[in-house]
Amino acid sequence: MTARRRTLALALLPLAFLLLMSILPLLRLLQEGQGQFSVGLLADSYLQWRIVWSLLQAAASCVAALLVGLPLAWCLARYQFPGRRLALRLLMLPFVMPTLVAGMGVLALFGPQGLLGINLQDTPWLLLYGNLFFNLPLVIRAACEGLSLIPASRIAAARTLGATPWRVFWRVEWPAVRPWLWSALCLVFLYCFSGFGLALLLGGQRYATVEVEIYQLVAYELNLADAGALAVLMLLVTGLMATLYAWLERSLAAPLKVDPLPPRPPQGAQWLQLLAALAVLLLFGGLPLLAVLWKAAQALWLLGPDMLADEDVRLALFNSARFSALAVLLAAGLGCLHALAARTSLALRALAFLPFIVSPVCLAFGLLLLYPQWTASLALLLATYALLAYPFVARSLAGALDSLPPHWPQAARSLGASPLRTFTRVLWPLLQPAFRRGLAFAAATALGEFAVTLFLSRPEWLTLTTLIYQRLGRPGPDNAALAMLLSAVLMLLALLAFVAIEWPSAAERPLKKES
Amino acid sequence: MQLFKTTTLLAALLAAGLSHAAELRVLTHSSFAVAKPLLAEFEKQNGVKLSIIKAGDAGEMVNKLILTRANPIADVVYGIDNTLIGKAETAGVLLPMSDKGGAVSLPGAVSIDYGYVTLNYDKAWFAKKQLPLPKTLDDLTRPAYKDLLVVENPATSSPGLAFLLSTISAMGEAKAMAFWGKLRDNGVKVSKGWTEAYYTDFSRNGGARPIVVSYATSPAAEVFYSKEKLTASPTGNLLLPGAVFQQVEGAALVKGGKEAALARKFVEFLRSDAVQKDIPTSMWMYPVQPGIALDPVFQHAEKPTAHTTPDSRQIAAKTTAWVGKWTRIVLKSGQ
Amino acid sequence: MLQLDGVCKRFGDKLVADRLSLQLAKGEVLALLGPSGGGKSTMLKMIAGLEPVDSGRMLFDGQDLAAVPVEQRGFALMFQDFALFPHLDVLGNVCFGLRERGLARPAAQQQARTCLQQLGLAGMETRKVWTLSGGEQQRVALARALVTAPRLLLLDEPFSSLDADLRRQLQLEFRQQLQRQRMPAILVTHDREEAFALADRVAVLKDGRIVQCASPAQLLAAPATPWLARFIGYENVLEEGVVPEQALCLGADQPLAQVQRIIQLADGVRVTVASRDGELTLTLSARELARYGANLQVGGTLAVGIDRSAMLRYAAA
Repeated sequence: MTARRRTLALALLPLAFLLLMSILPLLRLLQEGQGQFSVGLLADSYLQWRIVWSLLQAAASCVAALLVGLPLAWCLARYQFPGRRLALRLLMLPFVMPTLVAGMGVLALFGPQGLLGINLQDTPWLLLYGNLFFNLPLVIRAACEGLSLIPASRIAAARTLGATPWRVFWRVEWPAVRPWLWSALCLVFLYCFSGFGLALLLGGQRYATVEVEIYQLVAYELNLADAGALAVLMLLVTGLMATLYAWLERSLAAPLKVDPLPPRPPQGAQWLQLLAALAVLLLFGGLPLLAVLWKAAQALWLLGPDMLADEDVRLALFNSARFSALAVLLAAGLGCLHALAARTSLALRALAFLPFIVSPVCLAFGLLLLYPQWTASLALLLATYALLAYPFVARSLAGALDSLPPHWPQAARSLGASPLRTFTRVLWPLLQPAFRRGLAFAAATALGEFAVTLFLSRPEWLTLTTLIYQRLGRPGPDNAALAMLLSAVLMLLALLAFVAIEWPSAAERPLKKES
Repeated sequence: MQLFKTTTLLAALLAAGLSHAAELRVLTHSSFAVAKPLLAEFEKQNGVKLSIIKAGDAGEMVNKLILTRANPIADVVYGIDNTLIGKAETAGVLLPMSDKGGAVSLPGAVSIDYGYVTLNYDKAWFAKKQLPLPKTLDDLTRPAYKDLLVVENPATSSPGLAFLLSTISAMGEAKAMAFWGKLRDNGVKVSKGWTEAYYTDFSRNGGARPIVVSYATSPAAEVFYSKEKLTASPTGNLLLPGAVFQQVEGAALVKGGKEAALARKFVEFLRSDAVQKDIPTSMWMYPVQPGIALDPVFQHAEKPTAHTTPDSRQIAAKTTAWVGKWTRIVLKSGQ
Repeated sequence: MLQLDGVCKRFGDKLVADRLSLQLAKGEVLALLGPSGGGKSTMLKMIAGLEPVDSGRMLFDGQDLAAVPVEQRGFALMFQDFALFPHLDVLGNVCFGLRERGLARPAAQQQARTCLQQLGLAGMETRKVWTLSGGEQQRVALARALVTAPRLLLLDEPFSSLDADLRRQLQLEFRQQLQRQRMPAILVTHDREEAFALADRVAVLKDGRIVQCASPAQLLAAPATPWLARFIGYENVLEEGVVPEQALCLGADQPLAQVQRIIQLADGVRVTVASRDGELTLTLSARELARYGANLQVGGTLAVGIDRSAMLRYAAA
C-alpha cells in the first residue's frame, strides 16, 4: 500500500506533464479534425499512395538494414582488428546526430551539386539512404549483442558435430540472434515510419511520408479533417509497433554469464570480408558526416571565419546552449522521478515511450490549438523540449535501476550505511554513468530538435537548427555555405554528447544489461 | 529536492513567459526584410517594442492565425496577399479595414506592395542550346521542352499557388487541369518552395531546369546581388499569356489583438515613404504608394502589362478544391 | 589412431603446449589430467580443430589433420556446460549432427530416438533443453555426441557441473557406454579420481608438457616426479621417493616425531608429525590410535618410522 502510494507520489509530476504536454494536445487535435472526419479519405488514391509509400519505405529500410546490418554485425563481432572497439563505440553516433545534420550530409553527397556527382533527389533512394544512416547501427548493435550472448561452446559443439561455419551461422547463430533482430527491426520500422525531419528534407515532393503530409495539410492547407484522420492512422500504426516492440523486448532475457566466442584476427580471404564490411559501414554511417565536414571546410574557405561572428549565428549559439541547458535540467528532474516511479509500475514504464512514438508534428499543432495563449512563449517551447528529452533520462536510469542487484544496497545497509549514505556511496556511483548517458541523449535531442521548433519558436529564439533550416531556405551560396557550416557546428556539439555518453567509466561494467 | 528544483524552474519560466512589457506583435512571413534601422526608428518614436513573429510561408502564416484565433498570437499581420485575404476574411481573423488606395488595392486590408509571379528563364542555357523560347504555355507541353520547367508546389508555396491560379484564370478549370496533366507527362519538376526551385533546380544556379516559376523582379535582383558588375540580367521574364499573376500584399489588424492604436500606426508606417522606398530592393516588390522612385536596377525587371488573376473571393472559394485536384494530377501516386 | 608430434601452441607469452607428443590406440580412453590453466582444454580444442596449432603435426589414422576443417574431422566434443542448443528440443539437439552429415530428417530422428532410448531418455524427445536437470542434460549431450558415431570422442570436464553423487553414478554409466561401443576418447579433467576411474591411460600435463603418461596403476606405482606424486594425491612426498601409508611404521622401536596437527575423523584421526625426514601425514584408525597414540596431542610425540623398502621410487620421466 505505502509502496503504491509512494509510486503514485513520484509519478504525479511526470504524469501530469505527460497529460498536459502530449495526451491533451493530441486529443485536442483529433477533436478539431473530428467535425469533418471524412471516411472517404482512405479511398483517395493520392493519400493511399502516401500511406503505402510510408509503410513501404519503412519496410524497405527494415529489409535493407537487416541484409546489410547482419553480415556487418557478424564481422564486427567475430573478427578482431585494430580499432574494433572504436568502431563499436562509433555505432552510437547516429543516435545523437540531429536529423538535420544527417539530412544535410545526405544532400551534400547525393543531392543537387552533391560531392559524388550523382543527383538522387526526387528518387526514393535519398530517403532510404538517410534511413539506413540512422537505423543500420541500431540493427548492428542489436545483432552484436545477440551474437555476444552465444556461448563459444555452443558454436564449437555445432562445429564438431559436422557443421561448416556457414551452417553454424544458420543453425546456431541465426536462431539465437533472431529475437534481438526482430525487436531492433520493430524500432527501425517505427522510426522510419514516423520520422519527420529526414522525410521532409530528403523525401522531396513525391516521396514524402504521411508525417510530412500531415505537416503540409495542417501548416499549409489547414485541412485539419484529413490531417486528423491521418494522425489517428499514424497513432494506430506506431502504437501497434510500440506494443509489438515492448512484447518482443520482454522475451529477450540475457543469461547471467556467458563465455562468448572471442573475436579472432581474420585470416587470408577473411581480411577481404572484413574490409568490405568496414567499407560498407563507412558508406552508410560515416560518409554523410564526412560530407558535412568537407562541405563545411569548403564553406569556411569560401567565406572565412568571419561569418561565424554574424549576429544571427551568435544569437543561435547562445539560444541553443541556453535552451538545451534548461531543457536538460527539466528532463533530469522529470526523468529521475519517472524512473523511480517506473520501478514498480509496468504501465509507467510503457508511458515513457509515449514521447518517442508521438509524431512531433501532431504534437506541435495539438499544443498550438490547446494553448493558443502560449504559442509564442518560451515556457511552452522548453516544456516541449523537455517532453522529448526526458524519456532518455528515464529509460536510461530505469534500466540501470533494474540491473542493480538488490543485495548491493542491502550489503551497504548491513555494513552500517544509512539510506542516504547508501545512496551516495553505492547507488549513485553505480547509477551515475546511466544518468550521465541519459542527460547526454537529452541534450542531443534538445540541440537537434527542429520539428516542434518550427511551430513554436519566435525569431528572437533562433536556435542552430532553425537558423540552418532558415538559411537553407534562403537564396545564395553564402546562405547555403553558412547552413553547411552550422550543420558542422551542430555535428560537433552532438559529438560532444557522444563523448559524454561513451566515455568509459569504472562503474559501468556490472551494469552491462542496460542498453 | 529534484522536485523542488523542477517546480521552481517551471514557475520561473512561466513567469518569464507571461511578463511582456508594452510590445506590438507583428506576424509576418519569412521573407519579411524591412531594414532594421527603420524598425528601430518606429520603436523609438512610438515607445514600443516590436516583436516580429515570422511564421514561415505566407500561407502557413495565415493558417497559424486561423488556428490561434481564440487567443491571437499577434496584433497586426503583414504579408497577407490576394490569394489568402479571402480565406482570412471567411475565418474572421482580421479586423476589416478600408484600403488607402494606391497603384493596386486589396479588399479588406491595406495594400502595401505588389508584384508579379511569372516564368523566368536562363538566358545562357537557351543561347547555348539554341532553343527558341516558348511562345505559349502549351509549348511547354511539347517534347522540345521536356524536363525544362520547375514549379513550386501550390500546396506549400505562394508563388506556386499564384502560378496555378493564373493558369486556371486564363484557361478555365477543366482546360487548366488538362494542361497540368500534360505538363506532368512532359516532366515538370515540383519543388517545395521558391527557394528550392530557384536556387537548386534552376539552371542559372547549378540546377538542371532553365525555366522556373519566380517573380518578374527576379532578373533585377540577379543584377543587384551579383558579385561582378552586370550590364544585363542573366535571366529574363517569360511573360506568356496565362502565366502572369498579380500578387498584392497588404497589412491588417488581427481581430482580438491588443494595442490597436499602435497597430494602426504600424500599418501607416508600412505605407510611409521611407518603408515604401526600402521595399523594392529588400523584398523585391513594387510599392503601392504613388510617386516612389525605383532603384535604377529595376530597369532589368520587365514589368508585365497584362496578367490573369482571379478575384480574391473566387480564390477563397475554390483554392482548396483546385490545389487538391492539382496535387492528385501532378503528384498522383507519387510516380 | 591419433598421433600428436611435437605440437606447440602459445598464447601471447604463455606456452600452453610445448612440443607435445602423444598417441592414442584404438578403443582407448585417455585422460588429460592437470591443474587449471595447464593447457588441457586448449589441447582438446586443437585436436578438435577449433584452435590452430602453432607448429608440430597431428595425424589420425595416418592422415594429417592440419588441412581438415573441424566439421570434417568426425570428432565429437562434449562440453562442461554441455552447450545444448536452446532453440532446439531434445530430439532436435540429438539430430543436429546427423542432419549435418546429410541424413534425411526421418532417418535422423529414428536414429536419435534409438540413441535416447539406450541412454534412458525415452519420452523426453520434445522437452525444452532448459527444463532438463543437470544429469539429463549431460545424457542428452552424450547422446548428441555418440549418435553420430564419431571417430573420436573429446570430453571437456563433462562431469564437473554435476553434484558428487550424480557424478559417480554417471561416470559408471559412461564407462560402460564407452566400453560397449569401443569408442576412443580423450577426457580432460582436473579431478584425478575421475581420470583414474574412466581412463585406460592418464597423461599428466603441466605448463604445456606431459609430465607422465601411463596407466593409472603405473602412475600410482611409480610417479615420475615429486610434483606429480603430490598432484595425484600422495601426501608424503620426499626427495628420494614417495612414502605411501603402508611404508609408515608405528611402534615403540620407531623414532619419535613431534605432533604438529590433529584432525578428527569419524573412525580415527589424521596426524601430521615433524620427523627427521620431513613432515609426514598419516591416518590412524581408531584401533591404531588406542594402541599407539593414547595420549596424542599437539606438541606431544608419536613414534613413526619409514620402511624404505616399501617406498615408491620415481620413474624416469
